[in-house]
Amino acid sequence: MKKYSIVIVDNDEDELFFMKEAFDTTGLFDILAQCESGDELMDWLNNKPFNLPDVILSDLNMHGKNGYDIIQGVKDTAYLAHIPVVITSTSSTQTIIDKCIAKGAAAYLVKPSSFIEYQPFIKKLHQLIEEKQLVR
Amino acid sequence: MPIPVNMYDNCSLLINTLPDGILMLDKDGYIKFINPAVSRMTGYESQDLLNRHLSVLYPNTDTTKSEYELSVALKKGITIAEGWKIGKNNSKFWAELTLSANFEEKNVLRGYNCILRDISERKQLDLDLRKSEERYRLMVEGVQDYGIFMLDPKGNILTWNEGAKRTKGYNQNEIIGKHFSIFYTLQDIEDGKPPRELLIASTTGKYEEEAWRVKKNGSVFWANVVITALYNETNILVGFSKVTRDLTVRKENEELLRQSEERYRLLVEQVTDYGIFMLDEKGRIISWNEGAKKIKGYAAEEIIGKYFSIFYPEEDILNGKPAYELKVAMEVGKYEEEGWRIKKDGTLFWANVVITAVYNHDNILIGFSKVTRDLTERKASERELRDSYDRYRNLAEELKITNKFLSNANEELEQFTSIVSHDLQEPVRTIRSFLQLIEIKMHEGQEVDLKTYIAKAIKASNRMKELIQNVLDYSQLAKVEIKREPVNVEELLSETLQNIKTSADAAGASIAVESEVETVYGDRVQLVQLLQNLVSNAVKFTNGNKPEVTIKSTLENGQVKFAVSDNGIGISESNVTKIFEIFRRLNSPKAYPGTGIGLAICKKIVDRHKGKIWTVSELGKGTTFYFTINQ
Repeated sequence: MKKYSIVIVDNDEDELFFMKEAFDTTGLFDILAQCESGDELMDWLNNKPFNLPDVILSDLNMHGKNGYDIIQGVKDTAYLAHIPVVITSTSSTQTIIDKCIAKGAAAYLVKPSSFIEYQPFIKKLHQLIEEKQLVR
Repeated sequence: MPIPVNMYDNCSLLINTLPDGILMLDKDGYIKFINPAVSRMTGYESQDLLNRHLSVLYPNTDTTKSEYELSVALKKGITIAEGWKIGKNNSKFWAELTLSANFEEKNVLRGYNCILRDISERKQLDLDLRKSEERYRLMVEGVQDYGIFMLDPKGNILTWNEGAKRTKGYNQNEIIGKHFSIFYTLQDIEDGKPPRELLIASTTGKYEEEAWRVKKNGSVFWANVVITALYNETNILVGFSKVTRDLTVRKENEELLRQSEERYRLLVEQVTDYGIFMLDEKGRIISWNEGAKKIKGYAAEEIIGKYFSIFYPEEDILNGKPAYELKVAMEVGKYEEEGWRIKKDGTLFWANVVITAVYNHDNILIGFSKVTRDLTERKASERELRDSYDRYRNLAEELKITNKFLSNANEELEQFTSIVSHDLQEPVRTIRSFLQLIEIKMHEGQEVDLKTYIAKAIKASNRMKELIQNVLDYSQLAKVEIKREPVNVEELLSETLQNIKTSADAAGASIAVESEVETVYGDRVQLVQLLQNLVSNAVKFTNGNKPEVTIKSTLENGQVKFAVSDNGIGISESNVTKIFEIFRRLNSPKAYPGTGIGLAICKKIVDRHKGKIWTVSELGKGTTFYFTINQ
């Protein structure tokens, strides 16, 4: 199974911590970076890292630059525009999902009901990337 | 010389003094006696002529002619002949020669008596006359375009010319002597027209007409005919001259023209949508059509002859507009406009008017054509269209407002959905996550991190409570009817400062107030909350510097403008519009705690006061929040 490189963004440090644990356990992704806000992510990307991620997984609701801002920022930057941004959030409201997709999100995944249930989420993310061939 | 008494002397005297020449000839024609008059005429003396034959007096001594004339005189007793006679030295004179036979006894010829009369002078007159007549005859005969011929008093044709031949087709020899009624149509003949025309000509001197006449081949032609009665010097009618001209071509042209003109006239007369009429050069109406009648209400007989200014409102007449329009039409050929005109019943109609100057072939102005169109209906429908457009525009405008209202409501709903699904769910999820972790750890018998997990769960539940309170506060703002009361600005500001005194003092903030306005209208409680939120933000978002805050109020365009300035961290340009979104936070809660509801509440309050709120800021230097409230 192909391993994808990923950057994960969430403003809750506890959530980020458990998320990373789950990622490590599944072994489906290489985490290149974990950011606590959209601003942090964009700073990291703007520094033109040697390895760009295959995919970005970002929380929607954050202080400063939120998920929408990240979608826009990636799309507006020529050398980043090809990177699929997958948005994740506690909300399963359709209008919010639609809004993310309309803005250019590659996919939208509802967060698991608790931090400790991230493994199925990560498997699902991997499956989605393969099915939709998000990474080229 | 006294008149002698005896017969012989008398005779002798008579013969010698007579102006006529007397000759006596013997039976062979030889001259036996001449009187002095003969000598005068011929230049011969008596002895020159005695015993000479009469032919000596004829040109070339023409014996044949003289013998003939003598024989005629012998046969008939007398003959009179005119002719040239030759005198001495070949002198020539025109003479009338009367020869009468002179019998001795019954049937015994003695000789001839001969009277010679010089009529040269008379002959000359005669010749002159004849020459002149000849000229006229030739002239008349040669005329080709007019048939000119003579009729006797009864109407029989006496003469014929080339023109008559051409127009009527008869040769001279086949028409002379015929009655002139031959040229008339059967109907004219039955009507007795030919004799009537002669009667009119003889009584009035002339008869003239244009009418159909018949050619030899039976075809008719349109003729101009002039019959003139001819009287001699004794006033006796001697006949008629008749001049005939073939006008068929002219007639055809005229007919074509007439038909064409009639077509146009009918066309114009029957047009009903346009008033089309003519004015003379002074502006008087000289023609009128159906459309003019329909539009203006006048019948032709009541309007023809009137000045066209009758159609103009009084104001236009006082301004001399009718005359001005004619002047323009004359100068540039055409005048066109739209304006109010008056109908017969006094009502106004909106007219499109075109006045065109009309010139004849000689380029002389003969008047104006005027075409009037009633645009009232068009105007009305235009107005209707505009009204309906206005109505639709108003509807669209209302719709837009309603839409905006709905869209705002929708946005709020969406915001609320977002709040419930994210902001309120997040702490619930956090609490749940830690509770599950605690459960797992306890199940495994591990107690190491339990306290941390419990603390985190409690923190999340506090945050949850805070969020719920904020949402309730915020939604309360939208529900409660705001008050419209005069609010003293000074009191407003002091209440605000009182409310935040604790936090301001803690941050060591200095707050300056520069208020120029005494009162505003609005909801006092909400206005306090608005200012309080802004000032507390100004005190909160600092870089560790001591906060310096200025609150100003000024009067601008009938509105009160408040400004709250700080020396804090500032807001980047891309974020100045985001800050008013509910629960939108630019900074991490660790650096600047808060739920992100404060500015959303501010915006809501300003909106409900129908004011505006905006920000001018520079990152790192400070921010000024402005808002306006109606005075």
